Parts: sequence; C-alpha cells; structure tokens
Amino acid sequence: MYSLILLNGGIGSRTGADSPKQLLKLRGIPILVYTLVTADRVEQISQIVLNYPPQWREDVEAVLKAYAISTPVTLVEAGASRHASVAAMISHCTNDDVIIHETARPLVRTSDFQRLIDSEHSNVSLMSEISFTVAPVDPETSAVTGSLDRSRLRNVQLPQKFAKADLQDAHAHALEQGIESTEDATLVADFGRPIHFIEGTDENLKVTTKTDLKMAGFLLRPEEDDDE
Amino acid sequence: MSKTALVTGASRGIGLETTRRFILNNDDVTTVVMFARASEDFDANVAALEKELPIGRRLVPIAVDVGDREALKQAVTAAYEQVGGIDILVNNAGYTNPVPLQQVDMADFEKTINVNLYGPFTIVQTLLNLGNRFDLIVNIASTAGITGRSGWLTYSASKAAVINMSQVMREELSIYGTRVACLSPGRTATALRKTLAPDEDPSTIMQPGHVAQVINTMSSPVGRFIDSENIVVRQ
Repeated sequence: MYSLILLNGGIGSRTGADSPKQLLKLRGIPILVYTLVTADRVEQISQIVLNYPPQWREDVEAVLKAYAISTPVTLVEAGASRHASVAAMISHCTNDDVIIHETARPLVRTSDFQRLIDSEHSNVSLMSEISFTVAPVDPETSAVTGSLDRSRLRNVQLPQKFAKADLQDAHAHALEQGIESTEDATLVADFGRPIHFIEGTDENLKVTTKTDLKMAGFLLRPEEDDDE
Repeated sequence: MSKTALVTGASRGIGLETTRRFILNNDDVTTVVMFARASEDFDANVAALEKELPIGRRLVPIAVDVGDREALKQAVTAAYEQVGGIDILVNNAGYTNPVPLQQVDMADFEKTINVNLYGPFTIVQTLLNLGNRFDLIVNIASTAGITGRSGWLTYSASKAAVINMSQVMREELSIYGTRVACLSPGRTATALRKTLAPDEDPSTIMQPGHVAQVINTMSSPVGRFIDSENIVVRQ
C-alpha cells in the first residue's frame, strides 16, 4: 500500500488570487478536490498526507468534509519551501512506499497513479518528452554556452513514487549538505539511488498561471462541446 | 451487477412504474428504495409489487415527505445506512397547485420549490456528503420548465430550475464519473397532471409507464449515449 504525499501548500502568487491557488475554483470546484477525488479511487493508496498553507487549515478541512474523501487524510502545515514540506511530510507516512503529487496538477488520472504503482521499479517518475529546445547559457554574460541533446532530456512531472527509505535518506543527505531541491526524482538520482521514468501525458499540466487555469478548464469541459 | 436505486414519489404514477421496471425488468438493479408520503396507496402498491418480486430482489419502502427537508435528510441517511449506497437516483416526486400569478400564495410557492427543487438537491447533497458515489442521477423536470405556461407560474419556475440544476450537477459530478440526466415529460396521465388539467381525458395522453420505460433505458448501458441534454418525452 502507498501513502500519498499531496503537496498543497503553495500560496500561488503567480495566479494572482487572494486565496491559495488550491482553493481557487476550476470549473467551479476547488482545484485540490480533483486530485483528492482521483486518489480516493485508487485502491492502493491507503493514506493521504496533505499539507496546507498556514492559516488555511479550516478551509481545507471544510473541503475534505464536504467531498467526503474516504481515504484517511493526515494534515500537515506547509513548510517554508516545497523541499521543507516534503521532508516534513515523509515522517507522517505510515506505508513503506510513497507517492508524491501536487494539487496544482488537477488533471491527473487514476490510470497515471495505476501505471506508476504497476511499474516494476521502486522509484519512478512520470516524465514527458520535451517538444522544444533547451539551451545552456551564462545568465551573467547572456552567452549561449553550447547545446543539449533533447532526446536525453525529459520534462519532470508528478506523480512520482519512491521507497520511503530512499526518499528519507536523500532528504537527510540534502539537509546535511544544505541542498534545496525543487523536486524529488533528481534529488534521489543525485543521491545515487536508482530512479526510472515512465511516459507522462501532456494533459497532466501544472496550473501555475491564469492561462494555465483557463487551459485546464478547457481540457475538463464536456467532450460533447467538440460536436459540430 | 447488483445496483441499488432510489426513486422518489414512488407510490404512484411515474415513480411507481419506474420502480416496477427497475425491480422486474432491469438486469442490474436488485434493490429499490422507494420514497413517498405515507398513504394507503403507497402501502397497497408496495404490497402488490412485493408479490411479484423475483428471488434476490428487494424493495425498501420509506415513508417521507420530500418537501420536509429535515425529515428528508434523516430518511436519506437511514436509507444509505440500510442499503450501503445508492447507484441510481430518480428524483421524481413533484407538487403543483396551479393558480394565476395574482393568487399565488407564498407558502404554496415555497412548498412547490421545496418539493420540486430543494428536495432533489437535498437528496443529492446529503448522499454526496455521506460519501455516496452515484452512477446515474435522473431528475424529472417538465416541458413546462422549458416554456412557461400561463397559470402554472410556480410549477413552471420550479421545473426550469430543475433543468438548470441538472446542467450544473452534470458538470460538477463528472469528477466522480456520475452521469446526470434530466427528463422533461410532456402531458402524462398522472395525479399531478389531473391537477394541472382536470378536464383532460387521461387515456388520450402519454402513460406513466412510457416515461418509466425511458428512465429504465437511461439506466441501461445504452443510456449514456442519450443523457447529455434535457430529454423531452412527449406524445
């Protein structure tokens, strides 16, 4: 069984809203509900560890109650950074295997979780091909310093799964070394533990800006709107 | 498959005929919870249906007034605890007292909205809050909710609201994979129709069984191909 670390603590300054972006409405429903309902349908997820922005606990609790999420939820106050939040949330996980996802990716499907769980490897991330060229540069001189082989790069997505011990060890090492990561697959890889990827989908987008919110709303609209 | 349905207004008319088809002619439905106000008709019709029940099928009759919100919440909770979940909900119970605008009594208007609009809403919300996951919700509206009818202000307005509410439900509940259908029957030979058109010969118009047959089809696998709009059923 798996514990789902569900990151929900960002304040969402880029969406330009007064409340945290997880409580922003996507097609009239708080964004965080989408992942909660999807995760609730995944049999192998027996615990959800959900963090919340400071001072927003009551609002998150109200959502959990109204939508009657049946998987037990452990609430944890968000840390100062994403890295700190994950580190704090690991210790609340009651299973030996964990999945990390974020509520800002509301279009995740049960099949995404299922493919991850079904993977033969212990540490796995959804990743997608990069459809554009990324160039290495020197920001100080504005010089382009070379090129990168796109076929050997991937866009890191969530969800990801880890053996809890590997994730814990990688975070303990990062704390010792003063490393602050923005995601965990590369953190675990840099630490030297094996990690693999499976194909992500371009629909599983991260809602960061107002444009992303519109895009997600468009993707969620009823399919009959495509009729001519 | 072993599905449980809840039908309101199940003591007669469309609700009774829907219950009959679900329990006798639907391969998937094995339990039907029947909501209706307490009446001799309700008791007699349940008793008659019980005699026809195939093995492994059951009826759960519960006397409740859909217009009494607190009683309704209690009945829904009790039903949920007894049957362990509702897969199909048919919000059929309806009320009308047709009078011209100048003579509408506010208490009666409120009763109309309570039964026709707040009732279906309360059942759906209560069950969702309890953690119920529906396969299908069928809200019975009316062609009078599409076009307002002179002398039927309260009824027409309530049914227009049901059509709109169904559209919102369809979108919001899509996160669970729930289908929400809205059915608007035209003239149907029911007690409610007798109130609206007392001089009409009921044998000349659509029968409750016809509408029930459409509801039963909606609940079958093929139903998902026809549930995206407000479906008008008329003769």
